[in-house]
Amino acid sequence: MTSVDLGTAKWREIGPRRWSEGGGRTERRNESGPFRRKPPPLWRHVDLLLVLATIAISVLGALMILSSTRGTDPNAYDLTFLRRQAVFTGMGLATTVLVATVDYRRLRDWAWMPYVVVLLLLGLVLTAVGTERRGTQAWFQLGAFQLQPAEVAKVVVIIAVAALLAHPDPPLGARWVGLGLLTLGLPMMLILIQPDMGTALVFVAIAMGMLLVAGAKLRHLVVITAVGVIGVIGIMNSDVLEDYQRDRLTTFLDQDTHLGQETYNLNQSKIALGSGGMSGKGLFEGTQTRLGNVPEQHTDFIFTALGEELGFVGCATVLGLFLVICWRVWRTAQMARDRFGMLLCVGVLSMLVFQVFQNAGMTMGIMPITGIPLPFMSYGGSSTIASWAALGLVLNVHMRRFR
Amino acid sequence: MSASLSGSSSVPRWRLSVLGVVAVALFVAMFARLYDLQIVGASEFKVQAEANRVRLVQVPAPRGRILDRYGRVLVDNRIAVVVAVERNSFDNLPAAKRDEVLMRLAGELNNIGEPVTIDSLRARVYDQRFSRYAPVPVAQDVPEAFKIYLEEHADLFPSVSVQRTTLRSYPYGPLAANVVGYTGKINEAELTAFKAETAKPYALNDDIGKSGIEKSYEAHLRGTPGQRELEVDAEGDPVRVIRETPPVPGSDIVLSLDIDVQALAQQRLEQGLEAARQRAPRGDNSPNNATTGAVVVEDPNNGQLLALASYPTYDPVPLADGIDNEEWAYLNDPANHYPLNNWAIQGQWSPGSTMKLFTAYAALKSGLRAADTVFYDRGGYSIPGCSGDPHCFRSNAGGAAYGRITLPEALTVSSDAYFYEVGAQFWLQRERFGGEDAMQQYMGEWGLGADTGVPLTEERPGRLPTPQWYRNYREQQGKHEDWTAGHSVNLAIGQGDMVLTPLQLANGYATFANGGTRYQPQVVLRIEPPGRDAAPIPVDPVVVQQIDLPAEIRDPMLEGFVGVTQRGTAARAFSGFDHENWPVAGKTGTAQVDGKADTAVFAAFGPATAPQYAISVFMEESGFGGTNAAPVARALFDSLSGAAPLPEAPLGGLPTEPESGLTDGGSTYD
Repeated sequence: MTSVDLGTAKWREIGPRRWSEGGGRTERRNESGPFRRKPPPLWRHVDLLLVLATIAISVLGALMILSSTRGTDPNAYDLTFLRRQAVFTGMGLATTVLVATVDYRRLRDWAWMPYVVVLLLLGLVLTAVGTERRGTQAWFQLGAFQLQPAEVAKVVVIIAVAALLAHPDPPLGARWVGLGLLTLGLPMMLILIQPDMGTALVFVAIAMGMLLVAGAKLRHLVVITAVGVIGVIGIMNSDVLEDYQRDRLTTFLDQDTHLGQETYNLNQSKIALGSGGMSGKGLFEGTQTRLGNVPEQHTDFIFTALGEELGFVGCATVLGLFLVICWRVWRTAQMARDRFGMLLCVGVLSMLVFQVFQNAGMTMGIMPITGIPLPFMSYGGSSTIASWAALGLVLNVHMRRFR
Repeated sequence: MSASLSGSSSVPRWRLSVLGVVAVALFVAMFARLYDLQIVGASEFKVQAEANRVRLVQVPAPRGRILDRYGRVLVDNRIAVVVAVERNSFDNLPAAKRDEVLMRLAGELNNIGEPVTIDSLRARVYDQRFSRYAPVPVAQDVPEAFKIYLEEHADLFPSVSVQRTTLRSYPYGPLAANVVGYTGKINEAELTAFKAETAKPYALNDDIGKSGIEKSYEAHLRGTPGQRELEVDAEGDPVRVIRETPPVPGSDIVLSLDIDVQALAQQRLEQGLEAARQRAPRGDNSPNNATTGAVVVEDPNNGQLLALASYPTYDPVPLADGIDNEEWAYLNDPANHYPLNNWAIQGQWSPGSTMKLFTAYAALKSGLRAADTVFYDRGGYSIPGCSGDPHCFRSNAGGAAYGRITLPEALTVSSDAYFYEVGAQFWLQRERFGGEDAMQQYMGEWGLGADTGVPLTEERPGRLPTPQWYRNYREQQGKHEDWTAGHSVNLAIGQGDMVLTPLQLANGYATFANGGTRYQPQVVLRIEPPGRDAAPIPVDPVVVQQIDLPAEIRDPMLEGFVGVTQRGTAARAFSGFDHENWPVAGKTGTAQVDGKADTAVFAAFGPATAPQYAISVFMEESGFGGTNAAPVARALFDSLSGAAPLPEAPLGGLPTEPESGLTDGGSTYD
């Protein structure tokens, strides 16, 4: 209680700032002084660095998808997955443009609509309409494609929570914290029922990040964290989870003694990464990758293909590109014209950081194995489009930071 | 405080910074772990990745052949058809389909007489020790028609394939089977024993030498398996061949055997045994069962063996092709006298009077007797200091008394009394001659009681009994009993506990023939590695011992031995022989065996003037040596001396009904 009061003196305005105070070189170049009558066209404010870094990751991702799905025939590569991923990326880019074009402030008023739709979809996917794969009821089969509503839900929920928490002035009262948690918690519960632990954990990360920056009292954050830890321990020790799910989550804690499929996955994953060494075995030269030793390599374990074929250099480059993306998103959050814009960026940032750490960390054996994709790299339509949509949100906030 | 344009309010800046710091920390953690895996751990993971990827498959190599001294092939390879199951594709069939295929295959194999069941097939196909990447053989040497049937009905037999393999073939049939030995599938014990073999690693279902030359020269005969390095995917399915080293056949082994001499020796031995069976037993002796026998022909000039005949013998073909239980039981039934044994090196029989060569040498060399010392043979001998026991008086065989004789005559007529006295005196004057086993020391120089070292399997050492041995032997039976003069007397005429192998006897006579050089009997002349450019590896004669045989010792003994075939105990057997130009020196032996007919023995060499062949003949339960064994040797000498043609060995082995062409050995005690 007392500790929170300390904060009052430190509350400082970081929200809207004058464009003349703006930071980066790009902005300064576009700047023509406070007396400018007509602002430059919006597209001049697109964060090019952010876009280029994302495209670079997507290209590397596409190469790795090809490498891990081309089959074992050296003379006839199977291009099916590459073609489909190209289509997804094209759709993702279109989504980005669409999301970035509409002023994000308008989204604020309509945020509840996609939220309700997503809740309905998450409910519907649990019924006979949805399809099940490897024990998880998470997909709608639409012709040749599959829609995973949980992926879409991440972005939609970020918008809804940002819209909600943009209202109150900090510090947030218990009522707002509760409302925020409810908004996040409803879809998260539905996703847990599927069950998809990985995506549910992404919601936890989003919640913590957004509540922290939105101005929740530390007291509340501590309580939420405590409840969360107790909840996880409770779930692990109850029979809510199937044994194999529990194994997936705990294998990484005890990598030498476990046997079975999970340890096999992790071992093969580490062998692929480790055998790549400093500069890798060369593009399309990875034996673990070509011979299919790493399960789910083109989706959840795409990072291992990169590690085997392009080595430490390749992995460090991709992590570096992700770091650039995170920096630009964080910077956009700082520069955002309003609280809603800032919270949108914080939500996206929390999502990206957690997914990258969770996904890459799992391939290296420092995080539990949960099936979540590496943004922009993993094969998959829903994930690719949702990631690009999230990028669109950030670009949107960035472009409109002056008006 | 607020300059908000949209109603938002201020937020503490540090909270956003916390988020940034957390993000950076997580990235640092990832970089650190990446460094750990990809830089520090790289070499170890590279090894693991390689192990994931590569599977090694062995390609069996043909064994080397076995030839006789003139290059005639005794053991060859022939191509045979093998039915095999491709494990890798078989495993990918649905379970019901797998059973269906096995059931159909078992049925078809039964139709062509292969003794398989669906269970035996299943056990074999699922035996995890077979490589997944090489076909698992389930039936070998099936008819060509069956191969065509399988190929025409390939749709009914998915993942069943027909392969070619090499099997042993024996152009001369069972001839020399006991020398060359046989091969068979490697068993558990052998697999374990050869685990460390890396140059020519063994795999399940590989052939391995089980006996004879096949076993003792396994390291040379075995080919170097080829190796196929397969790249496999995560399911273990082969993707491509990375590297392939072709198999290299094993080395050919050239034996010292002359297959013509071998065939003749085998034939004469079998004829001799048959003749013995026809003879009525002597007095109240047991019938002449003539169960086993052996003939050795050795070149005394270098120890090379020209023939090693053994009876009974066996057909190696079924053993090489996979023998059934019934045949195997027959071969191992004591009632059949162990056809698999090579009796020339495994038979241990008392030499009887053929021992007298060694006794005579001991007597002359030690100075106990001089060759011209006159001994009065009264038809028997009373052991000095022995009384109250019927065994204290030993009579000559048949009770004949030869009167005043010297050493040559004692050998020619085979006077036992002469040698009884030698044995007794060696014991009685043991202080003078250098100890209680003085006689055995002299005899031991000839290689008695020890392996000759011939490179064949299961050679037995025989026994040259000494007082110490006897005490230990009786001790084991719980009795305290010492050696007596009677034992020495027995040993002097090759009876009692004294036993040796036909090879030891032939080698002893060969040593005498060449003037005292004892060779290690040699059965392999050279090893011929595969490839045109490879130089043969010769096997040189090995001298084991040089015995000093001065003329004053050798000449009288030789005189005695030559007399044996001309007017002595083997004169009947050698009647009509060209003694003038090709004299044969020999000695008959008749060893008594409790409850059985005597063992007929004959040892000889010729021509006595410049010896080229030394021969020993053993025939168990056959009666007199001069009657039964000497004619066998005589028949061989006929051909070896050129008096009779040496017939070419018949391909496919000897005719089953041997026609007898042996001389009548008469009935002479020795």
